[in-house]
Amino acid sequence: MKRVLLLTGKDFKRKWKNPVVIIGFMLIPLLFTFLFGFVFGSSQENIMPTVKVLSVDLDDSLVSRLYLGSLTQGELKDMINLQAVSGEDEARDLLDKGKASALLIIPSEFGEKVWTGNPAEITLIKNPSEQFLPQIAEEITETTSLVFSALLQIFSEEIDQIRKFSEQKDISDQIISDLSIMMKDRIGEIEKYVFPPVVSIKQMTQEKDEEAEEVGYSVQSYILPAISIMFLLFICNIVFEDLLREKEKGTLLRMSISPLQISEFIWSKILTSALIGIFCTLFLVGLGSVLFSIDWGRPGLLLVIILSLNILIAGFIAFLYTFIQTERQAGALMSSVIVVMALLGGSMVPISNFPILVQKISRFTVNYWGLEAFRKNIMREPVSQIWLIILGMLVGGLLLSVASSFLLEKKLKKGLYR
Amino acid sequence: MIRCPIFFKLRSGLMLKISHLSKSFDKVQAVDDVSLEVKEGEIFGFLGPNGAGKTTTISMIAGLLTPDSGTIQIDSMDIRSSQQKIRSIMGIVPQDMAFYEELTANENLRFWGQLQGMSGTELDQKIPYYLNKIGLKGREDEPLKKYSGGMKRRINLIIGLIHSPRLLLLDEPTIGIDVQTKINILDLIREASSQGTTVVYTTHTLVEAEELCDRIAIMDKGKILALGTLKELIQIVGEKDIALIQGEFSADQAQQIISQEKSIDVITLKDGYLAISLDASKKVPGLMKSFFNSGISVNDISLKQPNLESVFLKLTGKELRE
Repeated sequence: MKRVLLLTGKDFKRKWKNPVVIIGFMLIPLLFTFLFGFVFGSSQENIMPTVKVLSVDLDDSLVSRLYLGSLTQGELKDMINLQAVSGEDEARDLLDKGKASALLIIPSEFGEKVWTGNPAEITLIKNPSEQFLPQIAEEITETTSLVFSALLQIFSEEIDQIRKFSEQKDISDQIISDLSIMMKDRIGEIEKYVFPPVVSIKQMTQEKDEEAEEVGYSVQSYILPAISIMFLLFICNIVFEDLLREKEKGTLLRMSISPLQISEFIWSKILTSALIGIFCTLFLVGLGSVLFSIDWGRPGLLLVIILSLNILIAGFIAFLYTFIQTERQAGALMSSVIVVMALLGGSMVPISNFPILVQKISRFTVNYWGLEAFRKNIMREPVSQIWLIILGMLVGGLLLSVASSFLLEKKLKKGLYR
Repeated sequence: MIRCPIFFKLRSGLMLKISHLSKSFDKVQAVDDVSLEVKEGEIFGFLGPNGAGKTTTISMIAGLLTPDSGTIQIDSMDIRSSQQKIRSIMGIVPQDMAFYEELTANENLRFWGQLQGMSGTELDQKIPYYLNKIGLKGREDEPLKKYSGGMKRRINLIIGLIHSPRLLLLDEPTIGIDVQTKINILDLIREASSQGTTVVYTTHTLVEAEELCDRIAIMDKGKILALGTLKELIQIVGEKDIALIQGEFSADQAQQIISQEKSIDVITLKDGYLAISLDASKKVPGLMKSFFNSGISVNDISLKQPNLESVFLKLTGKELRE
């Protein structure tokens, strides 16, 4: 053990004197988190971006105003930033310049068609240079149009009355009173079919939002650990590249003619990479709290998660090196394996977006388990569930390390002397 | 570096004993039935061209390669059964610069010394001593990547010596260095030997072997062709010189001329090249006349007095640089 610590100390000293690559790998997750936070909003409540939509109302009737007004009501006002433009040409020009994600054109006689129950068409032009936000605009306007049409059908009788009244010059109090009673009766008739489910759905959604807000699961809470795990794999790989480099350079040969065992040399690399990984993770977690106000959950558990995750990473990378013969192979293969693992394991895209089969494959990646542990701790899910993941990572990491030590010892002994 | 005299008295005087050692790689016989003994404190050299089997022999002595047959005993211990004990009394200076360039000389020497089990106090004494010896005192806190090639070579040697090994294996430690560094390195090796370290040295430089080694084994194609002190080896060629003749002649033409002369031994004969052993002062003028009379043009003739080079030439039929 003394010799393993001696070697670990030496490797630490070497990395300390040449820290550029490791620092670079630590900065990338922070940069990603900053950029994602910038794009999707940094506050915990505002995960969805606001979509800027231009509107041209060529009809300028009560109905068209009601329709446009419906797009900025309730929760929609946080999602849609509706900007009225006087002419279609001006609006198209602004869209070309990328000033908005979509353009909504309400044609003339829109109101008349609605009053008379004829089909009315609204035009939505999406900004072709954007992909994500115009899609949101389309979804929202489609849904609003559907609801608007349904309401028009439900209240068709009342709307007809309103239309007739609106044509009269003087509207007496009696007429308004009759109309109100008629509207109230109609709402009374339909409320048992329409309002209860709408209200209950809304309540459920609101409860979930409140929970997420309470535990602070923001975009950054997902992005920072996700990208960090990927780059921890890269950092660990830097330490293990030394396995082959030391063989190539002759330092391993020199060590092998000393009381040191090759297995001690391998364990020193596993220990070094795990320790460097732990320091880097602590650094990233600390900066995550300071820069992005990430609440990482229970601190004690967080430390154990960091420890077990880095043991798993070290064991996993060590195991991969049992298949690698040369430094060149390592350079080519390791980067590909790490990127694919990151993709499958949820470091790049949330795994819920994958098909079920791919989601099952994700469970074989280091990234998945690390992310799950971080997420569950952030969401303050039951401690027993988190301990189970921690135990899995620890056992997995140690088993992989033992297997790698055995396999690498044989491999490194071969061809030591050229 | 000071050893207890009583410690020496307990020793048999034999540090390395190799018996019928053989090793082959696929169909190539790298080492072929090599047997030799090296005494404690002796500087023993393996001389031979690249591919002669020197490095394979050294790697088997170091326990890095398992012999196909034969035995190796170091300090009366069999290398197969006592590898751990043997490692603790051994040191190696490989051809490569086997150290960490990011670390300073001080850090490197401390690390390698500690790995060999040396204490901090011992290292505090030895590191300045050796740095002073190799003229690097005052630069011990600079990373080795800033050192010149010669300075790196010296550090490479000191790392192998720092723990005062009883058997030091040196694999061509003077490749590509300046004369001053070479002298410095050879002095350090002599000093280690004078203090009881047995040195096994491989080289393909004749001068180094002549200057440094107490005994030399000339190797080629995995075999030991001759073994002894410089004086003993030179006796192989006797008092004769070696003449190397190059010109525009066929092997048959040269053979015809040589066969007419007495007391000339042919070492190598091929078209345009002739190596012969002869008494140069008496025989060369007549020989040149015969070549001239036969209408053969001689482009170059060089004479070598009896030395290790001529021994090597005599034994292998080729110059060592080939």
